[in-house]
Amino acid sequence: MNRIVRQFAAGVAVLASVFAFCTAAAWGAAGDPPIRIGSTLALTGPLAATALVHQLTGEIYVEQLNRRGGLLGRPVEWIVKDDQSKPELARTLYEQLITVDKVELLLGPYATGAILSAMGVAQRYNKMLVHHTFGIPNLAKYDAQFPTWSLGPDPATTFPNTLFDALASTSKPPKSIAIVTSKFPSVHFMSLGAREVAKKRGLSEVIFLEWEFGNRDFGPIAARIKDANPDVLWVGAIGLEGNQLLDAMKKIDYAPKFHFYMYPAPGPMVQATEAKNALAATIFEQDPPFTSNPGAAEFVKIFNERAAKAGLPYTGVETQAAASYSAWQVLEAAVTATKSLDDKVLADWLRKNRVDTVQGKLRFDGPNNYGDDLMRVKQVQNGRWVTVWPKAYAAPGAALVLP
Amino acid sequence: MALPSASLLAQSILSGLFIGALYGLLGLGLSLSWGLLRQINLAHFALAFLGAYLCYQLSSVGGMDPLATMLVIVPGFFGIGVALQWVFSRFRISPFNSLLVTFGLTVIIESVIQSLWTADFRRLNSSYGDITFRIGALYVPLPELLTLVLSLVMSLAIWATLRHTDLGRAMRAAAQDGGIATAFGVNQKGLALLLSGVCAALAGVAGVCIALSYTLAPAQIYAWIGVVFAAVMLGGLGRALGPLIAGIVIGVSESITMAITAPSWAPLVSFSLLIVVLLVRPGKV
Amino acid sequence: MTRGFAAILIAGGGLAVIPLAGLPPFYESFLYLVFHWIVLATSWNIFSGYSGYFSFGHGAFFGAGMYTTAYLASRFEVPFLSTLPVAAGVAMLLGGTLGAIVFRVREIRGELFALVTLAFTFVVGTIVLNTPIDGGPGIYLSAVPVPAIGPTGASSFYYMGLVLALGTVLVALVVFHSRLGAGLFAVHDDEDVAEVLGVPTYRYKIAAFSLSCGLAGVAGGIQALFLSYVTAGETFSIIVPLTVVLMCVLGGTRHWAGPVVGAAAITSLLYAFTAGNHPVAGKAVFGAVLIVVILFMPEGLLGRLPKRRMVGAYELGTPTNGAIATGSALPVGHPSPTRELLLDVRGLRKAFRGVQALDGVDIEIRRGEILGLLGPNGSGKSTFINLVSGHFRPDAGKIRFDGRNLAVLEAHAVARSGIARTYQIPRPFAHLTVRENVATAAMFGSANLARAAAVRDAHHWLEFTDLASFANALPDDLNLHQRKFLELARALSSRPRLLLLDEVLSGLTPTEIDGAVDLIRAIRDQGTTIVFVEHVMRAVMALTDRIVVLNHGQVIADGNAAEIMESAEVVSAYLGYSGTYA
Repeated sequence: MNRIVRQFAAGVAVLASVFAFCTAAAWGAAGDPPIRIGSTLALTGPLAATALVHQLTGEIYVEQLNRRGGLLGRPVEWIVKDDQSKPELARTLYEQLITVDKVELLLGPYATGAILSAMGVAQRYNKMLVHHTFGIPNLAKYDAQFPTWSLGPDPATTFPNTLFDALASTSKPPKSIAIVTSKFPSVHFMSLGAREVAKKRGLSEVIFLEWEFGNRDFGPIAARIKDANPDVLWVGAIGLEGNQLLDAMKKIDYAPKFHFYMYPAPGPMVQATEAKNALAATIFEQDPPFTSNPGAAEFVKIFNERAAKAGLPYTGVETQAAASYSAWQVLEAAVTATKSLDDKVLADWLRKNRVDTVQGKLRFDGPNNYGDDLMRVKQVQNGRWVTVWPKAYAAPGAALVLP
Repeated sequence: MALPSASLLAQSILSGLFIGALYGLLGLGLSLSWGLLRQINLAHFALAFLGAYLCYQLSSVGGMDPLATMLVIVPGFFGIGVALQWVFSRFRISPFNSLLVTFGLTVIIESVIQSLWTADFRRLNSSYGDITFRIGALYVPLPELLTLVLSLVMSLAIWATLRHTDLGRAMRAAAQDGGIATAFGVNQKGLALLLSGVCAALAGVAGVCIALSYTLAPAQIYAWIGVVFAAVMLGGLGRALGPLIAGIVIGVSESITMAITAPSWAPLVSFSLLIVVLLVRPGKV
Repeated sequence: MTRGFAAILIAGGGLAVIPLAGLPPFYESFLYLVFHWIVLATSWNIFSGYSGYFSFGHGAFFGAGMYTTAYLASRFEVPFLSTLPVAAGVAMLLGGTLGAIVFRVREIRGELFALVTLAFTFVVGTIVLNTPIDGGPGIYLSAVPVPAIGPTGASSFYYMGLVLALGTVLVALVVFHSRLGAGLFAVHDDEDVAEVLGVPTYRYKIAAFSLSCGLAGVAGGIQALFLSYVTAGETFSIIVPLTVVLMCVLGGTRHWAGPVVGAAAITSLLYAFTAGNHPVAGKAVFGAVLIVVILFMPEGLLGRLPKRRMVGAYELGTPTNGAIATGSALPVGHPSPTRELLLDVRGLRKAFRGVQALDGVDIEIRRGEILGLLGPNGSGKSTFINLVSGHFRPDAGKIRFDGRNLAVLEAHAVARSGIARTYQIPRPFAHLTVRENVATAAMFGSANLARAAAVRDAHHWLEFTDLASFANALPDDLNLHQRKFLELARALSSRPRLLLLDEVLSGLTPTEIDGAVDLIRAIRDQGTTIVFVEHVMRAVMALTDRIVVLNHGQVIADGNAAEIMESAEVVSAYLGYSGTYA
């Protein structure tokens, strides 16, 4: 008897949960006048730290947009779902956004893995996908996807050249290079590219090391770098890896000469004393000439305020926030220009036109819809990130500080 | 493969020693509650990170010396551990049920941490982080040294208590056969509360060590589970010195690999070694 | 089993129609995810839940399948569906190999097994990450065409997931009701006893483990295409097995449908909170729900009741002093002991960590006799039984049973040849009912019955030992005397030719002893030869035809009762000195 009760209770529990979820899903089903833009973000899980920036940026943009009268005279509503840092969820949620919530437009999620999943879904339903944090251009094969993180189609070659140009322009150009990298996909291929470029430019490689993403112990790696004593240290790091390596090097009393980190979490790196003069890649910093780009100055001001209010330790606008804001600008530009919400029309327009964003002018007519490589080099100077190269984009009066 | 210099190798071994000590410190509470209370306490990791965040908050914002935060954290967490055990003892929970319950607890604690401190990174910048000692050609940074010392002291203290005091004997008896132990006058419920409090306090101490050496994010809780579980299981459940020794074995084998060859092979070496040891001599550490 | 079968078919039929109902494709993708986790959880449960060997390695086999499909489909352009059997094969081979090595080591059980499987996961993950299988960048599958099984892409995955889920649950159901399943459940409760009872534990564990891994491999293969971008990252970690463990524990590990319920519940719950405005708070609620459910339903949502009392047993005033239902015993004549040799032990030696338990023992046991095996504590009697029954291997010596040397056989083969034993401290299978305990022995012992026949046969033995009214009770509900008789019933149901009784009378009252003696005589009268280790002298006198006395691992006397009692050596062995008493 009790067993039947149990099984019944079990069945009810399962049905209740499915129902709960269906109702939650159905909330989005009604929607007429507002234009709904849907995306997912990693609001929980390991990627949540950076996704916060995108959430904030989106909220700010939508507010500004609605104050301007919205899109095509209609208010804009942004529907964000939590993909919990899991690509399988991102994929399914995008399908929900398209087929159940029936959003008009899509915006990309955070990070390469989720974007790839979303891209597949967008392709299947012929929706355009504007995204802001895709790190591996040669994987972006859908013709209606538009990247606003302007790496250019071949960043593994173009960016290292930019960096090495910057270093070569100093009074003490480096001769030896150490390349250490995480095996995380979006940094690994960049580091391999850097290896090639370094070889072509005649830098001698004194050591090449790879570690698995999630490595906790950087002591031996730091010790080997110290032993090799390179003129420039290229660290294919993402997130906190750069800080962990710097910490380990500090603990064995080694300060590298030129040191570069691919995609460090900006806050921790700028706040660490041992990160003095660290170099990194950027598409935007809170200084002229970037702040003269359309929308930039106002965005910076609002973002700083709102980030501080939200309790974020780092309140500056840099690559992530800028790419995100650019994505919204791209969407708005396309819709406004074509006066249409049809994905095909919008995609066609974007392929033929340029959009002014906080990063600069973006174009999408290159391989895989990538345009120019807009990546610059920034450096930690006196507790701030300062753009230092190319000279045209350097902050006023700033230059690459030598080690 | 490059043959490393002696000092490189020594420094790497030291590095492995330090991280192994942290595995051991994190694993100590887990091992004790698994072996002596028959609870697989996943929430141990969440508690450790809660302790780390509290240490961060009290030092960065409150201005306390990070080590002094232990004066607040240790008794506080002891209380939390006692309270949790008090609630759980009302129910009959098998070890694998406890895994589920503590997983739920972990998720709750993670949510609390995320809502209080956001998902963004937090780093405790203390003066301890800047101090490094030199012993010959070797560098011994202070936070890591503190972790090693704390880990050793805690493990030895608990080992001695379990081995040589009546309290310890009573605990081991209660773990082996609660009914009989009670018949012999052992206050099993009281001991369980005490042990749970101690385990939670250990989590707090581990948290302070984490805060001193690492940047914090809520999802980091899960990054440690795999390797610490391995250390706990390798060291033998309920053995006070087990997690420390096993953790050091894992840490050092990985760091030696990283010194000699491509660092990405490190887990292969440490865990293959582990499997071989288990197959050849399952009598453990 | 037919009920379960029907339930699965009906559910499957219902689910198969859903894509045709015209719902938004998202529901199909969501249900695909539910099916995916059902497969992972159910496949894990087939081995780990049933046998109690909790594996933390499911991620390794899931990942192996995923990478097999990804690699073959993208690098060699093998059609996707053809990669799936290969994925299953690779995962199965990997699991089978690991099992073949690890299960040979007796001490690797419980958490050590969990550790080995976890370590294995990290090893496989590192190999994948560092070799051209992945090497770092991951594998991209968007160029691989999705097979057009359903009207849309989403429904194709839906159907693939549904078919795999149905298949996996069916496998779980079939195993649950099969000999393999019965063996696994016995292993769960007491592996050593199961082995000695005749369960081929090594083979069964490898079979179930390989099956479990293979199914996980296929799930991985399908998932590879679903994600269309495969990276080593989270796959080879503790997260997948941990999630799967949680799902099974929530749903109930002892039931074939437990993982289905658990997987569906947890996937749905997690999902339910992603759409809300407060995902962080939602996660906390999710955690709270898990806690509450398991605290109040410790056996899982579908768990068995821990105690099922047969109310009738106490009401009917069943005599508990072991009166025999002589009517139900097989009527046979009273065979007198023959001179024919049944068991011939020569030069048996066994040492344990320096203690020589048996030191060159020669014993002959004739067909149809009751041989008493006596000796002071520590003389080697239990060791003798352990060696003959196959529990341990001897260091030296031969044990010839009907011409075959048992010393080289595996324990379960020893049981199959017709030897059964009881344990001095009863070791019943705690989670199986009394009837199931007995049926297990009938299935795997020399009787070697099919499962259905074994269950029927068990009833006969329960009546013989007067436990019939307890058939559906758990061993915990029985008192010591009843548990000893359960030991007897279990030993008998395998229809042994040689029965080894290890102090079966210890702890019984005088009345109970009388009843037991009658029972033992009745057993011998059926044609079973008995070796009877005992300290209760009057029982020994009443029952035995011959007595062998051991002391310090050696035979010191061998003859009938009267001869033994007068042997000075025997007296001094027991009492410590020879000569007259003052």
